[in-house]
Amino acid sequence: MTPRVVPVETKVLNENQRIAAELRERFARAGTLVVNLISSPGSGKTRLLERTLELLVEDRQSCLSGQAGLPVLHGTRAAVLTGDIQTDADATRLARFGFPVRQITTGGTCHLDAKMIERHLEGWNLDELDLLFIENVGNLVCPSSYDLGEEAKIVLLSVTEGEEKPLKYPSIFFKSKLILITKVDLLPYVPFQFELAVENARRINADAQIIGVSCQSDEGLREWLHWLGQRICSQARPHGSERLELADAPGSALR
Amino acid sequence: MMHEIGIAASVLDVVRAEVAMRPGTRAMVVGLRIGELAGVDPESLRFGFEALVKDSDLDPLQLQVDYLAGREDLDVAWIELEEP
Repeated sequence: MTPRVVPVETKVLNENQRIAAELRERFARAGTLVVNLISSPGSGKTRLLERTLELLVEDRQSCLSGQAGLPVLHGTRAAVLTGDIQTDADATRLARFGFPVRQITTGGTCHLDAKMIERHLEGWNLDELDLLFIENVGNLVCPSSYDLGEEAKIVLLSVTEGEEKPLKYPSIFFKSKLILITKVDLLPYVPFQFELAVENARRINADAQIIGVSCQSDEGLREWLHWLGQRICSQARPHGSERLELADAPGSALR
Repeated sequence: MMHEIGIAASVLDVVRAEVAMRPGTRAMVVGLRIGELAGVDPESLRFGFEALVKDSDLDPLQLQVDYLAGREDLDVAWIELEEP
């Protein structure tokens, strides 16, 4: 019996990676922008989605009435896959706005994987979607390892958490293209130092955009919608892109 | 933790596939490369790995981890096989 070392060089999450690559190709073909929202439980992922969908609906109505007043994503067709360990409470919250919403209940698993996304997309025509939000299970660790075929991971950090979170959970801050610091309307009431949090995030990821947002005061939401809008436009298929128009109308309700 | 057990199970899948390609061999040690930014805790992974290997077809497979600062690797780098 002789021992022999053989090089393998295989990604541990090879199977997840394979499905994620297939999904990414499908999303690109359909011109669907997919973003994967990740945060601790209670950082405001669902609330951000509620307010975002609400703004898309308001925008739709304002277009119909000819009184466009928001940073507009004219006629954006959005959908949401929302993950939780138990309950469909988030899907119920998000379904109120008339966009397709599906709950992924993981039954104990602490993250979403590409297979779950593939399975829950069944029956949806991606050609009819411009934007798909994936709300991951509330967890800053595990979801960072799983590629879901998204264009961007987005990490949320609320001002009721600590400024050192980016240093404690570097993986997800490193892999995210956008960092949203949420609940900034609470800044006067909590010891959270916004600049220090930004500095810590920058130490881990110098390239990510960082936006402070509040779904109570709407602060930063214009920038957030712009970030989305730009990416929807560049993801859209060339022949479909005239549908979407990103503009700031005068008299916007958002700061 | 749940997460690391899933990762450990994926590692064992890779090992089984490699052994299946080389009939008659037996895997003794598997070498992983884990980056600090991969979001995987090596201690939890080892716990999950040992729990899954014990009394399985791969028992007594050992785990060796190369932990790398500032990187996001999560790879099976090598396997030490025992050959007849």
